[in-house]
Amino acid sequence: MIELLELASVQRAAFALLLGAIGLPIVGVVIIGLDIMPVRFAMMHIALLGIAIGLFTGLDPLLCAVVACGLSGAGLTPLARSSTGLSGAMGLLMSLAIAAALLVLSISGVNASSAFELLWGSILATRTGDVVLLGALAVVVPGLFLLRRRQLALLLHDRELAACSGVRVERLTLVLLVLVAIAIAGAIRLTGALLVDALTLLPALAARRLAQSLTAMALWAVGIGVGVNLAGFALALLLDQPPGPVLVLLAGAVALTVHLIPERRTTTWQSAASPGSLGH
Amino acid sequence: MRVETTGLPVRFAGVSCAHGGRAVVRDVDLVVEPGELVALTGTNGSGKTTLLRAVLGLHRASTGVIEVGGAHARSAADWAQRRREVAWIPQRQAAGRFPLLTDELLASSGAPEHARAAAAQLGVDHLRDRPLHTLSGGQLQRTYLARAMGCIEAGAGLLLADEPTAALDFAGQADAADLLASLPVTVLVVTHDRAVVERCERVLEMAAGTLREIS
Repeated sequence: MIELLELASVQRAAFALLLGAIGLPIVGVVIIGLDIMPVRFAMMHIALLGIAIGLFTGLDPLLCAVVACGLSGAGLTPLARSSTGLSGAMGLLMSLAIAAALLVLSISGVNASSAFELLWGSILATRTGDVVLLGALAVVVPGLFLLRRRQLALLLHDRELAACSGVRVERLTLVLLVLVAIAIAGAIRLTGALLVDALTLLPALAARRLAQSLTAMALWAVGIGVGVNLAGFALALLLDQPPGPVLVLLAGAVALTVHLIPERRTTTWQSAASPGSLGH
Repeated sequence: MRVETTGLPVRFAGVSCAHGGRAVVRDVDLVVEPGELVALTGTNGSGKTTLLRAVLGLHRASTGVIEVGGAHARSAADWAQRRREVAWIPQRQAAGRFPLLTDELLASSGAPEHARAAAAQLGVDHLRDRPLHTLSGGQLQRTYLARAMGCIEAGAGLLLADEPTAALDFAGQADAADLLASLPVTVLVVTHDRAVVERCERVLEMAAGTLREIS
């Protein structure tokens, strides 16, 4: 294992995972707060469209994927007004994106499977660009959280209450959706599209169970993320197994264990519709 | 005894609101003078909550004119100004899907210290570190009342209170009614509570979306 740690790619991967563990779990908290769990599937499809456009135009496919995800995140903002708007839109977006991607791939004459291959990220194949993106997220996401945590707590609790408390909900939602989209696009590179949950949602789900406030939730999520990422990566090296699945299984085990802690030691809150959808 | 008012006038002209194509508020005309305490009564589903939400721009399918302090909100900046001028006690207070601490709710009033002092008066000061979803209905309602006090301190001139005493015990209802009656602002309160209605200067009734004055 010591020999492996001397390899530049292994060192870069460990560094990328550490950076990812700072920004991505907070993004996971936001995903749960906005109730947009399907966002990662939608972004996976959008990323594919971006990759297809990149292959067609000759631009960097992964850069195109990040830009496409960011733009689609921004495009979703107006739909966040209603409580059901976002998750419904995700489904539509997924279908449209995959259809457009296949069409672009067909027009450009590229074999679809080579585009799909780019979605199967690998931690050990992390490039400098990925590390820079994750580093930027590790600064921007906690920074935004620290600066805007009061507004965020209100927005994620109740959008209307936030709007009536002076929070610029449209602008904050736009920033959050763009960050979520770009973060997922970045995380896809690390673990592959299907394993993004290990870096984003699983630490956040465990934190939601443990914390009583948004700030505490973000701290728990980052703590769990850092612990799971470093321990999972070390375990994968020790066992000589692919890091992605080991990370997911470890993060899943932590989330499950936290949920098995007796109810009286933790708290839950109901997931209810916004007051606007029912009030007459 | 009302203190000298800093309340804002409110004017509704031809206000109609729909839910999914069904009209729930029909052609409402109403003028509320500065500092008046007005009760809005009526059966469930008669459109009271929708009318209040339309004042804050939370019900988008609205037509007609709603002026607060003589201003009609059109742009996003107008609505931001409107929401600063109007304090709101929503009907469904436990709807949040993510934790919010009681103190964070009080701080959102714009005058945190004043809201905390009001919370102490209302006997919910000790709950400040608790998340809202762990509060009882009555505690939550007192907390929202305290928040409204903070909003008024921060400059709101109109309070829209949607069944603010529904979850309170009898003593709490009387205290809250006294508190509402003592505020130096215009108050429009949706209520089924006799203690509140008795203290109001005007009582309006909504039935099937239309409004009439009954006293």
